[in-house]
Amino acid sequence: MSAAAEAHEHHGPPPIHYSSRINPAVLGIFLFIGSEIMLFGSFFTAYFFDRIVARPAQWPPLDAAGVPFERPWFLALINTLILVTSSFTIHWATVACKRGNRAGLQAGMVLTFLLGLTFLLTQVIEYHRIGFNTHDTAFAATFFGLTGLHGCHVFIGLLILLAMTIRAFRGHFSPESHHGLEVGGIYWHFVDVMWIVVYVTVYVL
Amino acid sequence: MTSVAHDHHHAPASPSGLRKFTAPGWYRVLWTTPLVGLIGLGIVGLIRSAAGWDPVWKSGPLATVGTVSFPMGLLIGLGGFDFWTYYASGKKTRPESHDGHGATSWKDYFRINTDHKVIGIQYTVTTMFFFVVSGLMALLFRAELAKPGDQYFNPQTFNILVTEHAILMILLVIIPAFAGLGNIVIPLMIGASDMAFPKLNALSYWLLPIAGITFMAGMFAPGGGPSAGWTCYAPLCAHQPMGNIFFNMAVQWGGASSIMTALNFLVTIITMRAPGMTFWRMPLLVWANFSTSLLVVLATPFIAGSQFFELFDRVMHTNFFEASGGGYVLGYQHIFWFYSHPAVYIMLLPGFGIISEVIAVMSRKPIFGYRLMALSLLAILVLGFSVWAHHMYVAGMAGWLRVPMMASTLLIAVPTGIKIFSWLATMWNGKINFNTPMLWATGFIATFVIGGLSGVWLGAVSIDIPVSSTYFIVAHIHYVLFGGSVFTIFTGIYYWYPKVTGRMYNEKLGKLHFWMTFIGFNATFFPMHYLGTQGMPRRVADYAPRFHDLNAFASIASYFLGASTAIFLFNMIWSWTKGEVVGSNPWRAMTLEWQVSSPPPIFNFEEVPQIVGGPYEFGVPGARHAILGSAQAEPVATGGH
Repeated sequence: MSAAAEAHEHHGPPPIHYSSRINPAVLGIFLFIGSEIMLFGSFFTAYFFDRIVARPAQWPPLDAAGVPFERPWFLALINTLILVTSSFTIHWATVACKRGNRAGLQAGMVLTFLLGLTFLLTQVIEYHRIGFNTHDTAFAATFFGLTGLHGCHVFIGLLILLAMTIRAFRGHFSPESHHGLEVGGIYWHFVDVMWIVVYVTVYVL
Repeated sequence: MTSVAHDHHHAPASPSGLRKFTAPGWYRVLWTTPLVGLIGLGIVGLIRSAAGWDPVWKSGPLATVGTVSFPMGLLIGLGGFDFWTYYASGKKTRPESHDGHGATSWKDYFRINTDHKVIGIQYTVTTMFFFVVSGLMALLFRAELAKPGDQYFNPQTFNILVTEHAILMILLVIIPAFAGLGNIVIPLMIGASDMAFPKLNALSYWLLPIAGITFMAGMFAPGGGPSAGWTCYAPLCAHQPMGNIFFNMAVQWGGASSIMTALNFLVTIITMRAPGMTFWRMPLLVWANFSTSLLVVLATPFIAGSQFFELFDRVMHTNFFEASGGGYVLGYQHIFWFYSHPAVYIMLLPGFGIISEVIAVMSRKPIFGYRLMALSLLAILVLGFSVWAHHMYVAGMAGWLRVPMMASTLLIAVPTGIKIFSWLATMWNGKINFNTPMLWATGFIATFVIGGLSGVWLGAVSIDIPVSSTYFIVAHIHYVLFGGSVFTIFTGIYYWYPKVTGRMYNEKLGKLHFWMTFIGFNATFFPMHYLGTQGMPRRVADYAPRFHDLNAFASIASYFLGASTAIFLFNMIWSWTKGEVVGSNPWRAMTLEWQVSSPPPIFNFEEVPQIVGGPYEFGVPGARHAILGSAQAEPVATGGH
C-alpha cells in the first residue's frame, strides 16, 4: 500500500465515473441473457442434428404398439398461456412500483410467482404422465433436453421471483430504486420468450 | 503487499469460539461442504427410491450431483453467496466496509476477497500451480515416449495423462491466466477503482480451483479416469469409465467461471471508463480483453451444452449422439468445435493485447496502426465463429462444408497478419530495450508465426487429411498454445511483476528462463512436425521403432524445458520479498496502471483520472495520456528519441 492510501485510509474509493448511460446491472443481465441464448442455441443445434441431419424415418417415433408418441401440445399450450400471462403480471408489478403503488407491486409479484409455480408443477405432472422416457430415441432426448433446460430456468427464475417478492413486501423497492426488480423482470421475460420458441419447436413442429 | 495493518480496512479480528464456525471461512467450510454435499447425494437417493429405480445408490447420478453439491457447500462455507442470500431474503446487507479489499497476509488470498488486484494474484498463482502440475504430467508421458514399447504406464494411464495434461493446460492455465492478468490490469488501465461486480468477481475466481480439483479427482474415480482426450468425443466418452463424469462437470465449473469473468470485464469496460477514455483511446490490452470477453460470453455455452449432452447420454440414457437410438454422432463434434475453435482465440487475443503493450513500450514508439490493431481483433472474433468444421475434415461430415471452412480459415490469416506486421513495424527503427518482457514478446512473434503458418497449412483440406491425428497436429497446437499463449502469459507476468509486487524480478534469471524455454520448446516440438508428416499417430503410448531417435531427442528437450520452469518459479518467489524495490513506472510506460504507486493503492486512484490522449504516444512532443489528481501527477517521460 502506498503512502497515499495510508494518508487517506478514512475514505473509500473515489466516486465511480460511469462512461455509459446504461446501468451496469441491466447491461450485465443482458449479456448474461446473450450467453443463455447461446446455451439454448446449443440445445437447438443438437435438436437440428437429430431431427434434420440424422434423417429420422419417423418423428415422433413409434412406440411399442406402433403408434407415434403423442406430444401433449394442448396442455402445453395452456401452460404457455399461463407463462405468458406471468410476463404481463411482472410488467404490471414493475410499472406499479415506478408509480409508487406498493399494493400493485406486491399483488403483481405474488401473481407472477404463483403463475410460474403453476407452470413448473404442470410440467412435472406432464413429465410423469407423458408415456415416454429419456431413453426413447433421440426424439425423447431433445424433448426432455429442451423442456428440461427451460424447466431449470423456470426454477431459477422462481427463486429470483421469490426473493423479489420478499423484498417487495419488505418495502425495498421504491419509485427511485427498482433496479433489482427490473433485472429480475428482464430475466423472467427472457424465460417466457424462450418458452414460446421451445414450445413451437418441441410440441408443434 | 507490505504489511501495513489497518484493521479499519481489513477483515475484523478473526471470530473466536463457535462463531468461527458460523462466520465465512475455512472453519465453516469444514461442515458446510459435507452437509450440502451429502444433502445433494441424499436427494438423488430419495428421488430414485421414490421412482422405484434400482439400485437406489448408483454411481453415475451420485457422481453427477456430487460434483455440484460438494463444491456448492465449499462456496457457501467460504461465504461466496453471503451477500446474495442476505439480499434475496430481504435482510440488511452488510454495509460496504471494504472488508474484502486488499490483502495484508498470505491468508487473505485464501478468502473470498473482492479486490480485483488480490483476485488477479489468486488467479495467476492458481494457474501457475496447475501449469506445474499438468507440465509434470507431460514430463511423465514424455518419459514413456522416450523409447518405443511399454515402459512405465499402460496405454490407459498414458491416455489419462494426455487428457488431463491438455484439459488442465487449456481450462486451468491459459484461459484463467489471462483472466488473472486482466483482473489486475483492466480496472487500472481504464481508470476505475475496481471491477463492475466485485462480489461476482470473487465468486468466479473460486469456481476455478473447484474445476481443477474436479478434473484431477476424475483421475482417481472408481473405474478409471477420463482418457478420451481433451476433446472427449462422443460416443467414446459416454462409454468410458466414470472419470468422464468428473470431466464433464469440471468443464461446467471452468466454463461458468470463464463466462462470469468475461461478463464482468465487458460491463467494466463499457460502463466504468474514466472521463475522456473513449474506445479509441483504450490501451490495446483492454481492446483485446473486450473482444475476448465477447467471444467467451457467446461461445462458452456451446461447450457447456456439449458436455451436458454427453453426461445425459451416459447418466440419463438419452440418445443425443448414440446412433443406435437415432442420435447424430457428429453433432457432438460440431457443437464442441463451435466453442473450441473460438476458444483458440480466447486463448490468443488477450495475449495479442499483452504483446502490443510490451512492444510499444519497449520500442519507445507509438504502436503501428492502432485502429487496425483494434479492428483486427474484432475481425478475428467474427471470423472465429465461422471456421469450426476445419477440425472435422476427416470426421465424415458433409463434404460441401469443407471448402467454405477452408476459405474462412485461410481468411483469418489476414487480421492475424495485420497484427504481426504492425508489431514488426512498431519495432522498426525503435529504440528497442531487449529486457525480459521484450525477449518474450519477440520470441512469441517468432514461434507464433511458425504455429500460425502450420495452421494455414492445416486449414487447407489437402494437407490436413494426410496429417490428421498425427504429431503434426501436436506440433501445431503447441506452437500456437505454448509458443503463442504461454509465451504471452510469461511476457505479461514479467511486464507487470514490478507493478504487482513493487519489486523487480531478477533480470539475469528472467533472461535465462527465456532462453532455456525458447530453446527447449523448439527442440521439443519442432521435430514433431517431421514425425507427423512421417505418420506417427498422436495419443498412442507406443510407436514404431523408426520414430525412436527424434522422440528420444524431444523427450530430453522436454526435460530441459521443464527445468526452465523451476528457474521461473524461483525468480518469482525470491524476487517477491528480495527483489530490488522499483518506483511506480520502471518501464516509463504511459498507460494508467503505471501512473499509480507499485503495488497500486487500495482503491487505485484518489480521484478519477482525466484521459487526454492515446496510450502509446511515445516520442510525440507534448503528448499525454492522462492527467491524474495532484498527489499522483508525475509527468511521464515520453521521449524515446
